[in-house]
Amino acid sequence: MNASFAITDFPDRLSPMVVKELRQGLRTRLFGGMLLTLHIMLVLLTLMSGGAENANVVSGWFDGIVTLVLCIIMPLRGFSAVADELKSGTLDMLALTRLSAGRIIFGKWAAIASQSLLLMLSILPYVVARFVFGGLDLFGEIAALFYKWLAGVVIAAVIVALSTQRQFWLRAVVVFLPLMMTGCGAFSLIIMSRMGGGMSSGRVFTFFTKSGGASSLLVVVALAAWAIFFFLSLAATRIAPTASLLSVIKRSVHLVMILSLLLLGWLTGAGADMGMIAAGVLALLMTDALTERVNEVPSVYAAFYQRGWPGRIALWLLAPGWVTGLVYSALMVSLVVVYVGWTRSVEEAKLVFVSAAGIWMIAALVQLFSTRKSRDLLPPFVICWLFVNVVIATLGRLLVIPLGRLLVMPLSTKGATAGFTWALPQLLPVGYASANAGDKAYLLNLGVLAACIWPALLLIVAVFAWRHARGARQEGWRMIHGKKGGTAV
Amino acid sequence: MDRSQPAVVVEDLHRTFGTLKAVDGVSFSIDHGRVVGFVGANGAGKTTTMRIMATLDSPGSGRVCMGGHNVVHHPAKVRRLLGWMPDSFGTYEHMTVLEYLDFYARALGFKGADRLRRIQEVMDFTDLTPLADRMSNKMSKGQTQRLCLGRALLHDPQILILDEPAAGLDPKARVELKNLIRILAQEGKTILISSHILSELGEMCDSLLFIDKGRIVHHGDAESMVRGTETAGETLVNVQIAGEPAKLIEWALTAPLIKVEEETKRGARLRIQSTDDATLAGVLRRMIQDGLPVLDYHREERRLEDAFIDMLGQIDKNTFKSPPPGGLPPKITEDAK
Repeated sequence: MNASFAITDFPDRLSPMVVKELRQGLRTRLFGGMLLTLHIMLVLLTLMSGGAENANVVSGWFDGIVTLVLCIIMPLRGFSAVADELKSGTLDMLALTRLSAGRIIFGKWAAIASQSLLLMLSILPYVVARFVFGGLDLFGEIAALFYKWLAGVVIAAVIVALSTQRQFWLRAVVVFLPLMMTGCGAFSLIIMSRMGGGMSSGRVFTFFTKSGGASSLLVVVALAAWAIFFFLSLAATRIAPTASLLSVIKRSVHLVMILSLLLLGWLTGAGADMGMIAAGVLALLMTDALTERVNEVPSVYAAFYQRGWPGRIALWLLAPGWVTGLVYSALMVSLVVVYVGWTRSVEEAKLVFVSAAGIWMIAALVQLFSTRKSRDLLPPFVICWLFVNVVIATLGRLLVIPLGRLLVMPLSTKGATAGFTWALPQLLPVGYASANAGDKAYLLNLGVLAACIWPALLLIVAVFAWRHARGARQEGWRMIHGKKGGTAV
Repeated sequence: MDRSQPAVVVEDLHRTFGTLKAVDGVSFSIDHGRVVGFVGANGAGKTTTMRIMATLDSPGSGRVCMGGHNVVHHPAKVRRLLGWMPDSFGTYEHMTVLEYLDFYARALGFKGADRLRRIQEVMDFTDLTPLADRMSNKMSKGQTQRLCLGRALLHDPQILILDEPAAGLDPKARVELKNLIRILAQEGKTILISSHILSELGEMCDSLLFIDKGRIVHHGDAESMVRGTETAGETLVNVQIAGEPAKLIEWALTAPLIKVEEETKRGARLRIQSTDDATLAGVLRRMIQDGLPVLDYHREERRLEDAFIDMLGQIDKNTFKSPPPGGLPPKITEDAK
């Protein structure tokens, strides 16, 4: 039969998901309307930029509008990307194709990223025009535009990951509170800096790139790429079949990332900065590892057993589920703590451990208080994290603002301050910073001891959870070894 | 696909949602090329069972194999064999019918001219060619169902799972869909269809599986279901004659193997103590030989819906006990027809 149809708008080599999203995305009124509005505004601003007296005001508006579009509006297009598919049942149909969960999620994000890129490229002529008319630093402006796009696509990855959550309110809370506060803050900052002559775009650019040793473009791009991978893989895990082994890829990449950061710090002499960045990376990867449901699919374990003793060791670190996630997170924390202790100081290493214990604490609370029926641990983790951090932030404020000092100081003699902060890992750094120099060591040691409770508690729960999945492991063992050989671990 | 094993094997399948036992020990198997109806009230466990079979949900316990592949261990292999049509599904905004099928064909690995040829074949089969440029979310329910069936057929799957495919369709669209399913059955595909429209299932399916409260409560063909009374070795026959019904009653009272169930306006309902076709034909022959002016003589059949409801009532009354786990599961084979 000869095909009478011709549908050749996108080549075969493009991912089907990207093709679908682009076909849909480019036809939406939002994209067309936004493109048109953006260009009308940029034309007007470019025409206005001729006058030297209002150059800063125009620049402020130019940067503000571009930031708004690239870092807020475009990423927000992914707000319901997966949730809509879940609700309409189309995700089931996608799952039955050859598209893996990772490719589905990547396609969603890539469509937003490529539309943002399209917008960014369409903005470039205005930057050049402003350089011609206003004599701006062309490369600085182009770099700033690139960083805005990069920030936008990282935010888009976060939002696509959140869109795997069906509940609108939870997505809204997680997106709109921190993201809007940060986004609007940055938007205002950029406009104000341009208008008031406070912070120039060059200084904003410097802020992004010049933080100690992490000054290279490569590090920023690598960190952004890792962040995108982190959030997209997190999203993929949430829609993947239970038999999938995404955790192996994810945790391997995270391990490589941590090791690369530490190695880079050692090679460049920027160990302290890299240690701090690694600590940030650690918080994210721990969240992922500790919110995976314990897997009870025998073939998952069989995949490890068939690789002999290296597979059995890898199982403890890389098998899906929060129990192995706990072992993995302990290894990662140990790496970073040792590194920070070696390159900076023991005190800072202890603080990194206490920060990690904050994540373990939330994971332990989720395990202890979330319902056994809940198959998805991430939403209770996020809710718990938000709750704990709001409470901690409020309590922390009491230590640093004058009114708080009035309320707390009567109690915060040497022992009382320690009593107020050592018990909670999230609060300890604040207490440590505000404590008298003589009390710091005592407070920190007490805090470290208290922080050990949470991984220990989590370990006890993990033992029970691991035993619960023993049947699946034994079945996995039998799948590979039959009735011969030893027993499953 | 391994044809030495049944196309579908479900063994002691359990699935709970919180405290609700959605599927509670379901077992059955289906041979290749069979068309099986899956019948049950809302919430009986049909969709959950079908979703597990389609690798879209995980079994709590038990084993499900499609084409010889375990759905949990080898979901990718199962998916290649499987066409799934869910009970409710959405189409995409800003996407034409052609683009919709093109997207799924790409996602299934078709490339270049092969892809276009396969899309054309599916569109011809489902009669969607005239709608190629129509927006996929601006179609009637019947057209959307055909589009969904077309999508499910793109990779020429050997096993089809159709969850309520006729729900919400007008009579014309229903007939069209029924014809499409009939053609697919003739092509030798194994088809599992759930539906509330039992009469249609009776026409289309080789056999029926009845599920209630997460358990298989009956399996068999539609014919045996609607002739519920015949299981007791009796057949109800409705007879109409020209003239007074009393003549028929008088004749029936003297005839062997026949009891009068009830007198009707133009005849009577007779209970014949046989289910054998030859015996029933012999009764008619004797009526005519004895001079009864017979206008109508037909075996009385219950509607499938009535049979199903009677059966559920019977189960409730007798506090039905399901076969023990590990007991012989219903096997749907060539003989079951």
